[in-house]
Amino acid sequence: MTLLRMSGVDKRFGQVAALEGVDFDLEAGEVHALVGENGAGKSTLMKILAGVQPPDAGGMTLADRPVRFASVTEAQAHGVVMVYQELALVPTLSVAENLFLGKLPPLVGYGALYQRARDLLAQVELDLDPAGEVGRLGIGEKQLVEIARALAREGRILVLDEPTAALSASESGRLFDIIAKVKASGVAMVYISHRLEEVFRVADRVTVLRDGRHVGTRQVADTTADEIVQLMVGKSVRRYQRAPRTTGTALGRFAAAGPGLAPVTIALEAGEVVGLAGVIGSGRERILPTLFGLEGTASWAGRPVRSPRDAIRQGIVLVPSDRKTQGLVLELTVQENVSLATLPQLQRFGFMQAGREREQTRQWIRLLSLRPPEPHKPVRELSGGNQQKVVVAKALATEPKVLLLDEPTRGVDVGARAELYDVIDGLSARGLGLLLSSSDTEELTGLSDRILVFRGGRVIAELHPPFAYEEVVAHVTGARQLA
Amino acid sequence: MSPARVNWREVFARFGLVMALLALIVALSLLSDRFLTPSNVVNVLRQISINAIIACGMTVVIIGRGIDLSVGSLLALTGVVGAGLAVGGLPAGLAVLAAMALGTALGTFNGLFVAYAGIAPFIVTLAGLTIFRGAALAYTDGRPITGLPSLFMTLGYGTFLGLPVPIWIMLAFLLVTHVILRFTALGRAIYAIGGNEEAARLSGIPVRRVQAFTFAYSGLAAALAAMVLTGRLNSAQPSAGVMFELDAIAAVVVGGTSLFGGRGGVFGTLVGALIIGVINNGMNLLNVPSFYQQIVKGGVILGALLIERLVATRRT
Repeated sequence: MTLLRMSGVDKRFGQVAALEGVDFDLEAGEVHALVGENGAGKSTLMKILAGVQPPDAGGMTLADRPVRFASVTEAQAHGVVMVYQELALVPTLSVAENLFLGKLPPLVGYGALYQRARDLLAQVELDLDPAGEVGRLGIGEKQLVEIARALAREGRILVLDEPTAALSASESGRLFDIIAKVKASGVAMVYISHRLEEVFRVADRVTVLRDGRHVGTRQVADTTADEIVQLMVGKSVRRYQRAPRTTGTALGRFAAAGPGLAPVTIALEAGEVVGLAGVIGSGRERILPTLFGLEGTASWAGRPVRSPRDAIRQGIVLVPSDRKTQGLVLELTVQENVSLATLPQLQRFGFMQAGREREQTRQWIRLLSLRPPEPHKPVRELSGGNQQKVVVAKALATEPKVLLLDEPTRGVDVGARAELYDVIDGLSARGLGLLLSSSDTEELTGLSDRILVFRGGRVIAELHPPFAYEEVVAHVTGARQLA
Repeated sequence: MSPARVNWREVFARFGLVMALLALIVALSLLSDRFLTPSNVVNVLRQISINAIIACGMTVVIIGRGIDLSVGSLLALTGVVGAGLAVGGLPAGLAVLAAMALGTALGTFNGLFVAYAGIAPFIVTLAGLTIFRGAALAYTDGRPITGLPSLFMTLGYGTFLGLPVPIWIMLAFLLVTHVILRFTALGRAIYAIGGNEEAARLSGIPVRRVQAFTFAYSGLAAALAAMVLTGRLNSAQPSAGVMFELDAIAAVVVGGTSLFGGRGGVFGTLVGALIIGVINNGMNLLNVPSFYQQIVKGGVILGALLIERLVATRRT
């Protein structure tokens, strides 16, 4: 029986079509995997389903009755519940209080509440103390509590958005067992994942999106990982291809280890761009913060890197993945942000050298074609792409030998993205060494001189140009290991 | 849109405070002919000088997203120690310097706990509030110290170019604080840390050292204020400065510095201190009973923050 049917869903963000005529359906008691590369439209489609955003066009039926969700609350009233990967639990409240949050009676009787919680937890065979504080649980247990909470809200359709991203292998195994239990109770699930081995393990059907279009739905039993990769990748048009460059001049060698990251060494040549690939949780997202002295232990050219300050002194600088929380001081102006990492060079006897500061800012505004070219504008008022240019300018002002780029084009429009790619190529030409950590395969294949693929906290493959786009995707998603 | 059109919201956001102060002055000069006289203006400035000096240090701390509740007690302790040293025979100038060094050291003590032990500034300085008060009482056995050398009288009652010395000290300290905040690398680092500590750290700024400095500076400010107050009273009281931290915080926030850090400045704080001082003075001239004065003062603080909030939310 078809429980949910979405048909002809369109969604545009400004000039960009995020979804075009997408069809999607869900049977009762089915696990339906939704796969596709970043930007394929998976999240947008699920946000429409969960009432986070309205579609521009297209319809939805639930048990053959047309529905339209104006809000998350409305979607939940119809039994559609999203289980977010950013955990939405209150860490200081108990498991039971979290399970029934928003549905607690005015006067909480704890005996009854804990009993209801125990029943619910038993349903998913989760052996947890209902009175225990959520903040003390491991990340995997929190994820399971989230699922139990979705069930407490009488969810008939659960959307699991990359539920294993932060989980260990054994926690993932536990999650799969619980998914099977929940499924047996007749609840339908949409399972978003970048890891194909999970798709083949838990899903009945799989739908592939590419560039906002539906490109195929298969019974998992009748398809192969290779076919899915093929559908995900399609005949991708290369929008950017940098000419690989090797100078043969060694720059130094990084060594790093830390939580979620097995010891790894990366030798870097002058002018080389080393791409780092891997899904969230593969260790790939840990490597640059570790090399920059933020976590774990790291060394560069035999010397330990103890802190960001230490790293900058050794000629290593990071463009962090989240510009709003890590890269910029939004209250300050363009000029004040550009100067932040070079305060020691811009002062004399403690006083800022206004002339030198102005000159430095003007130079970077010109080199990176910042728009508007206005040094005294608060960075808050710039577009995402131009904010990112400010972060890059701040990093480059330190005149580094090595630039660490963490998701440098996330949330950056196409035009600014191409400009940033040109900047990266220009830096390579000037002999900098670059490490590029990205979840965007096109970006990695377009810019890298070699690509290191991470899985399970270690490097599992080193790829050299010419890169086969599909091969990178196959390694990253684990399809290569399934074949 | 005509080019001459005035963006009132922008004007209000930038000059609203000064406009509020001017409106107050106009209103009070209509209500009392004793208000806008040269001697009363000097009087107001002298009355606010101690609060304004403390509030300068507080501004630095708050811009760095901290708070310093210990300043009132710190003022008492540095006051009695400075006076005690002077009475005990140390040359008066050295006693004053020693008191200021002690203030800086005690501020640093707060700062180290905040920056390196990671304890919330509210808690650290709340502890400082009782520790320093207790130390002041213990040092003096609860009694005021009198019989001070003449330097203290000069600090409290002297004049220079026709203006009382406390006003000169206030203006000089305002200027120094302004220069630090606006023209030094350190000042820039304070704004950056208050605005986004993580981004500051990733930019290689020595976040903890800078945080510790802000508290040290606040300690210095409180000790300087202690010297002026000791001069005004011609004695050092271990019970001096009770609740001064609240007056200083009020001047800072009324002056437009954000309690969330990263925004504000010392001239706003001066205007904030003036607004509070003018209201106090005006109510005295109008013979408003002191119980009601407190209510009005609290109302003004709330009103100023409400207006700032409205302007801020409209902007975003």
